[in-house]
Amino acid sequence: MGELFDAQLFSTAVRQATPLILAALGGLMSERTGVINIGLEGKILMGAFAAALGTLLTGSPLVGLACAILVGLTLALLHAVATQELHTDHIVSGVAINLLALGLSTYLFRQVIVPREEAGQTSMVAMFGAVRLGGLENLPILNALLKDQSGLTVFALVLPFALWLMLRHTRWGLRGHAVGNDALKARTMGVPVKRVRYLGVLASGVFASIAGAFLVLASTGQFRENMSAGRGFIALAALIFGRWHPLGAAAAALGFGFFEALQMRLQGQPLFGVQLPTDLLLMLPYLLTIVAMMGLLGKMKPPSDLGN
Amino acid sequence: MLISRLLPALVGAGLVLGVLSLLIVAAGQPLGESFRIILQGATGYPRTEAFGPIDAWDVVLHDMTLLLLAGLSVAVALQAGLFNIGAAGQLLVGALAAAWTGTLTSIPSAVHLPFVLLIGAMAGALWAFLPAWLKVKRGAHEVISTIMCNYIALYLTHWLVTDRWKDPSSNAPQTMAILDTARLPMLREEFLQASWGLGIALGTTLVLWLVLYHSAWGYELRATGANRDAADAAGAPTARRMTEAMLLAGALAGLAGAIEVCGAQYRFFEGFPSDYGFDGIAVALLAGNHPILALLSAGVMSALRSGTFQLHALTGAPKEIAIVVQAALILYVAAIYLRKRRMEG
Repeated sequence: MGELFDAQLFSTAVRQATPLILAALGGLMSERTGVINIGLEGKILMGAFAAALGTLLTGSPLVGLACAILVGLTLALLHAVATQELHTDHIVSGVAINLLALGLSTYLFRQVIVPREEAGQTSMVAMFGAVRLGGLENLPILNALLKDQSGLTVFALVLPFALWLMLRHTRWGLRGHAVGNDALKARTMGVPVKRVRYLGVLASGVFASIAGAFLVLASTGQFRENMSAGRGFIALAALIFGRWHPLGAAAAALGFGFFEALQMRLQGQPLFGVQLPTDLLLMLPYLLTIVAMMGLLGKMKPPSDLGN
Repeated sequence: MLISRLLPALVGAGLVLGVLSLLIVAAGQPLGESFRIILQGATGYPRTEAFGPIDAWDVVLHDMTLLLLAGLSVAVALQAGLFNIGAAGQLLVGALAAAWTGTLTSIPSAVHLPFVLLIGAMAGALWAFLPAWLKVKRGAHEVISTIMCNYIALYLTHWLVTDRWKDPSSNAPQTMAILDTARLPMLREEFLQASWGLGIALGTTLVLWLVLYHSAWGYELRATGANRDAADAAGAPTARRMTEAMLLAGALAGLAGAIEVCGAQYRFFEGFPSDYGFDGIAVALLAGNHPILALLSAGVMSALRSGTFQLHALTGAPKEIAIVVQAALILYVAAIYLRKRRMEG
């Protein structure tokens, strides 16, 4: 049993958690300003496709990342316009965006990438290399966790702290908080409600699409149909489990990433002498979130003006 | 007056045709020929050697049965102000429950089929209970809880079908085939998947319309959805109606799963189709949550699906064309009809 919980497992956990952290923080940016965002899944998927295509055409993962962010911004803009200008129900708009992303990414994949594969060309793209840790390599735990990770993982690990500081100490952070909790009061205090919400939703598009780019440019090296595979919804669970707090959401995402890593490692092996079905491990994030929603883990308090 | 009422529908139809044409052209297919193939897949006409009306109706009526029930599931919850994103999970649980009870030999054959369908519906309702309870007692958003329940259902049914309830005589991860006594008869002898489940779905639609629009219960349910505070003030038991609406929604989705098992698949298997649950959202929104109109939108949607699938089968054009069209339609309908009243709440 000793060799099960080795450094490799935790390193895999951090890698699995990276897209979850990024997408959960994306959801946080939108929901803290009061806009429900169940379209994270679609933004991850389209981000992954754009990253693959951009990199395939130019050979540069940096261009791929830029393409992903551009596409994420576009989908986010669609959500922002639908909810803020047309006053469409936030859930309906999110559902439509997820459908659009699933349909469009698969459609374009079959049109653009599959023919290349059939012509014998590779669909594997250039990926981001591992970051060099420099002096940090001497720190044993950090070295084990961050060895061979890409810059995107480092970004995902730093981002929660940056957002935490931003939300607490900057004008934009406090304005977002005000808008998310009582838009009407914020408006009478002179806060530009609409602009704050636009920025929140657009930020969610950026982070979720980087999560998608990570899947292609730092994890698998190619796009596959529906490769987001529900990560947008696990991220949503992490956001709620972490109570709409950047550090909480990131911690929950890390925990959920750990379950995934453990599931990948076990593959039918017994854990502490018990044969655990892997489905049960995969189910755990959702189960825990339901338990949290029951109020068994303390009071849940979403932003009060969410969805209005 | 008539023109202005018809205009949104005409623009919507134009949007569907526009997006469809764009995707067909972008896929490098000839437009006229493609529309002929889509029409053929949707209606069976013009008929060809390989494909006639019977083939098309088999697919369309089968899809319509599931889309209608899933659409009603979403619609009845929305009428009470709840968004049931969980129809997919409820459908899976209902299907597995039906597949399990369908193999039991201990049930008298005369009541086997109704029993199996009832168990499927009850399993779906059970799956919707937790989100309903969380909403009413804890104020937790039902969208989040139903999404979570979808995934729990996905992994739970996957575990059961690959492990506990797997047919030991088969290598494939699937349950044993249900008994003949639990099978729904086909609408026509030549059909392979369009069963009398459609009749059940149509009957359900009618009953649902009657109770929603012609009973005090339905009135209270709709009042709850229109404005819960006002309904509360008027003395309607809103928490009760919301719970009942959600349970009913779960039962309808579970029934869809049971009908798919009893009328088309005859067993549960790994990767059982559950996306009808999500398509139900489009069906309900397009119909303005009205049961009778849901019949119409389920018909249109299943024709579109079958038509574009035929295009995919014959020309290799991506079959996701239908999904993109559906997404565009939801956005359009949402922007036109579902604007939130700004002064609300």
